[in-house]
Parts: sequence; structure tokens; C-alpha cells
Amino acid sequence: MTDTQWPIYEVFHQSARGEPHVHVGSVHAPDGDMAVLMAKEQFARRQACVNLWVVPMEAIVSTPYEDADMFEHGTDKSYREAFGYETTKRAKAVGDTADI
Amino acid sequence: MPTETPLVEMKLDSETRPAVIDLLYRMADDGLIIGHRNSEWTGIGPIMEEDIAFSSVAQDKMGHALAFYNLLHEMGEPDPDQIVFCRSAAQYRCCSLVVLENFTPDAPALGPDLSNNPTRDRLVAHGDWALSLVRQFFFSEADAVRMAALAESSYAPIANIARKIRGEIKYHTMHGRGMMKHMGAASDDTRGRIQMEIDRLWPHALGIFEPTKYDKVLAAAAVTPVEEELCRRWRGDVEPLLESAGFSIPLNAKPCHGGRSGKHPPEMVSLLADLQKVARLDPGAKW
Repeated sequence: MTDTQWPIYEVFHQSARGEPHVHVGSVHAPDGDMAVLMAKEQFARRQACVNLWVVPMEAIVSTPYEDADMFEHGTDKSYREAFGYETTKRAKAVGDTADI
Repeated sequence: MPTETPLVEMKLDSETRPAVIDLLYRMADDGLIIGHRNSEWTGIGPIMEEDIAFSSVAQDKMGHALAFYNLLHEMGEPDPDQIVFCRSAAQYRCCSLVVLENFTPDAPALGPDLSNNPTRDRLVAHGDWALSLVRQFFFSEADAVRMAALAESSYAPIANIARKIRGEIKYHTMHGRGMMKHMGAASDDTRGRIQMEIDRLWPHALGIFEPTKYDKVLAAAAVTPVEEELCRRWRGDVEPLLESAGFSIPLNAKPCHGGRSGKHPPEMVSLLADLQKVARLDPGAKW
């Protein structure tokens, strides 16, 4: 069956200036302008928002899940993980990471 | 940031006061009724995303209506529930554009056996989305023009509400303009349907700006410009938008008046029967 749906746009939401844009989902829309209008009501009506990005899904280049093994560490590299840093600990203490 | 003036009753002279009350009823009733009509599409609108966006716009309009009803209540009118649920059609002051059903005139009437939600069942089978879309486009543009003017109103409680809701109305116009642009670039069938509704609704859209006996008083007190002036601004916005989308402007249309003095199209009666159904079952019930 042919797909008669509009193209998919991935939606990124920013809760305050300077904060990162966080991926929140996707919408179908005929073009980018309409995707922004649709995304506003799907994803910005229940939480604070100052800015939205929409990106055509087809523009996204991703790694295949079959290749997920390339992210695994073949040998012990715990020495370069960031858990030892004071900043990380402080951030965790104030709950910074809990919301991410 | 504009400074916030509390919504307290400001001094209005005996001539301006009834004029302001009439203006508030007109705006509140328009918002309530178009919100009601648009919400009839909730759950059955075309494309899930648009269904949600359109319903959200309907909710916004209900909210704007409530803000104006609350202000009326502070000015000594009945509370919003009473205003909405206990008035007859002739007591409403909305324009005909918002009252029209979401159907083309040739759609079959309600079947006798559609007992649960007859309006919805009929809408699923015969609803005319083009009508609802063009209506929303016309109304949002009028809303934008009106609120831009009222943001400068001499009557601070109205100016405060206007400033607060302009952001939402900005979205409504972006939505309407985006839709009209796309419809204009779509198939012959789509463009034909939209043009048909533009032609059919145009007299009703002009009727948004039906002059009232209060126009002069309101303008003299700098509460709001006269309706004729707002209509001129609306046409200045809407006509180039339609033309650039490839649509034509109806010529020699006669504005459809009457709503501002309580004379509505016949469907206002069935609309209120729907809207007031529960309230009429048990007047004064608390829930």
C-alpha cells in the first residue's frame, strides 16, 4: 500500500533560552512551516516552551542498531568515564540529571 | 512588560457603560459560539495533528470568552454559567458567521435514530471541513485586528485581556494563513471547495463588523474604533492574503447583519439546545 501520509518531521522542544532542544516526538505535515504549527499544539501546550525545531525525518542520518556493538568497550576504560568529576557529583546532587 | 491593572471596575459614565457591556457580550458570545462549533470536530477532524490543533484553538476561544464573561460579571452582570446556560437565542449577541453549522446547506438533516451524539454522527457523515477552516481563518483575522485595537483601549480591563490573549490569536492567524496558503496550492477540487466557502461565508464575515448604536460612543471614549474602521483593516489584511493564495474576493457582497441585535440564523436554536442540554435538565444544579 502506498503511504498517503504527509512526511514526518521530528520535533525538538526548548523549555527556556539557553537550554538544549530536546527531542519530544514527531508530527506529520505537508512542509516545515506547517510542521511547526502542528508541533506547537502537540508538544508545547502542556509545558513551558520558548522555541521549537522541526527537522524532516529523512534528513537525519543514524547509526544502524546492528552496529550498536561499536559503542561497547572491548576493554576496561572506566578510567575515562566521567563519574569521578566533582561537577558531575554536584549536578547529580541538585537533581540536574534527573530531568534529562 | 505592560503594567498589570487589576480587573476592578473603572469609572464609566452612564452613556459609555452600557456600550462597553454590549461590546463585551458581542466578543464573549462570538468566542463561545465559534469555540463550540469548532469543538464539534474534536476527535473526528481530518489528520490527527490538525484535529488537535483545531480543538486547541477552540479551547483558546472558550478561554477568551470566559475572560470577557468574568469581566461582565465584575461589572454586575450574571455569572458566566448563568449567562451561557440561561439565555435564549435572542439574548445572544454573536455574529452569524460563528453560528453557521459545519455543514454545506444541502447536507441531510439529522436522522431520527441518532440518539447518542447526533451532531457528531451527522458531522462524520456530512461535515464540511472547508467551511470550518475558512470560517476560522476569517474569524482569526478579525480577532487579530480587534485585539490589536483593544490593546490600546482606554478601558484598562479590556486592554489587559486583549494584551494577554494576543499571543494565542497570533497562533490562530498563523494556522489559518498556513492552511489557506496550502489549500491555494492544492488540487482543483480543494481550491474549488475553499473558493466556494469563501464566496458563501464572505457576507457573514463582513457581518462580524455589524455596526451597533454604541459605535460612536465607544469610539468617542477611545474604548474601540468603530466597526466600519475595523472592517476596513480586516479587508486590508484578508484580501491580499486570499489573492496571494490564488483565491478571488467576492464582489458586491451584502453584509449579513442581525446577530448583534439578537437576530440569528435558525441553527442558533439547535446550537443552544446542544450547549444548554444538561443545564436545562436540571436548572440550578451544582456539579
